[in-house]
Amino acid sequence: MLLDQQPAYVLHARPYRETSLLLECLTRDHGRLGVVARGVRRERARLQRAQLEPFQPLALDLLLRGELATLRGVEPVGMPLRLAGDAGLAGLYLNELVVRLTGRQDPQPDLFEAYDRTLPRLAEEGTLAWQLRRFERDLLASVGYALQLETEADSGEPIMPEGWYRYQVEHGPVACTAGAARVIRGADLLALAADQRPDAAGVAALRRLMREVIRFHLGGAELHAWRVLAAAMSRR
Amino acid sequence: MPGSPLLADLIEALRCLPGVGGKSAQRMAFHLLERERTRGLKLAGVLREAMERIGNCTRCRNFSEEPVCALCANASRDRQVLCVVESPTDLAAIEQATGYRGQYFVLLGRLSPLDGLGPEELGLAQLSARLGEGEIEEMIIATNPTVEGEATAHYLAQLARAGGVKPTRLAHGVPLGGELEYVDRGTLAHAFGSRQALE
Ligand SMILES: [Zn+2]
Repeated sequence: MLLDQQPAYVLHARPYRETSLLLECLTRDHGRLGVVARGVRRERARLQRAQLEPFQPLALDLLLRGELATLRGVEPVGMPLRLAGDAGLAGLYLNELVVRLTGRQDPQPDLFEAYDRTLPRLAEEGTLAWQLRRFERDLLASVGYALQLETEADSGEPIMPEGWYRYQVEHGPVACTAGAARVIRGADLLALAADQRPDAAGVAALRRLMREVIRFHLGGAELHAWRVLAAAMSRR
Repeated sequence: MPGSPLLADLIEALRCLPGVGGKSAQRMAFHLLERERTRGLKLAGVLREAMERIGNCTRCRNFSEEPVCALCANASRDRQVLCVVESPTDLAAIEQATGYRGQYFVLLGRLSPLDGLGPEELGLAQLSARLGEGEIEEMIIATNPTVEGEATAHYLAQLARAGGVKPTRLAHGVPLGGELEYVDRGTLAHAFGSRQALE
C-alpha cells in the first residue's frame, strides 16, 4: 500500500542495517508504524536525516508492506518545533508513552490529533505537568483505557467536588475518607474530565493517579522517562 | 563457503564491522589469506588483547587499559574545564579539530528513554561526584545537536548549576562552506535564533 503525504511524527530512530534507520512513527491514518529509512546514515544524506528528528511535523511518502513500511519521501510541514529544556525531556516522555502503550499498525486518529496538539503546548510557560496529564488522559482514552472521571465505580453516583476517592484501575473511583492512602479529591477528577487545570496539588495528585494507571497497563513496568523527569524536576 | 567451514566463520565474523556486508567481508577474508598472513596474525593478536584489556577510564569513562587514562593522568591539561561528549569518537574529533586542553567526560550515549538510557547508564552520578570535587569551573556540553542530545544538554546544564559549575554549550549553526538554501530547516531556524551581534 502506498501512502502519500501522510501526516506523521518520528517518535524514535535507531540504526538499522549498515546505513539505514528504523524509525517509529506516529501517523495520522495508520497509527504507529515501523519505518525503514534507507541509506540516511550516509554522510551525503545528512540533510534528510536531520529532517527525521522527533517533534517535527512531517508529510511522509511510505510503502507499507507487511510488518514494516519503507520511507520513499519526507517533507517537513510548517515551522520546526523547538522544544527546549524541560519541554524536550517531556517530549521524550510523550514518545516513550506512545511507543509503549500502542501497537504498530493500529489506526488511532484521535491519538495523532492529541499528540499534534500537545507538542506546542509543552513549550508554554509553567503548565508542563498539566499538559502531560491532558495527553495521558487522551492517550489512555484512544487506546481503550479511558478513565472514569465523573461517576463513581459501583453506584454510578456523580463525583462530588468536595468528596475523596480512591481510583481503582479498570474499575473507577470509589468514595473513601480524606486521610486514606492514595486518595484524590473529586474536584481534581472532575477538573481532568472538564479539561480545566486544577491547582498545583491537584495536578500532582493527578500525576500520581496517572502513573498508577499507566504502570498497570504496562504490566507493572516503569517508563524510563519517569527517572529522567523525576531527577530533572527535583532540581527545580 | 564450499570446503572450508573456518573460512565461512571468518567471513561471518568480519560482518560485525560497521559498513561491512557479506561481499566486503569475503573480500577482506580472501585478502588476508592470500596476501597478508603475517599482518593478519598480528591483527588477530591485537584484537584479542584489545577486546580483553581495554575497559573504561574510571574518571572520564573513555576507553583505557589503565584505571585512569593517559589524558586524565596528564598533569599539563587544564583541570578547571571539563568537556562532556556522547562518545569516544566525539572526543577524538574535538581533540583533532580544536586546541582544547581541558579534561573530558564521556557519556557513552545520550538520554534516550526508548533505548533504556537514563542518568545511571550515562554515569551521571560519577559526573556529579567529579563536579563536587570543586576543581572544575566550566563544563562544556558537547552533546550532539539532536533532540536527544539537546535534552541531555539541558539535563547536564542543571547538573552543573547544582554543582556550582558554569555550563556552556557548543554553538550550532550553518556549516562552514554551506549555502543557506541547502541547510535543513531545523539548523537554519536554530542558527537564526542564536544569531550574534557583529563586533
Ligand atoms: Zn580518563
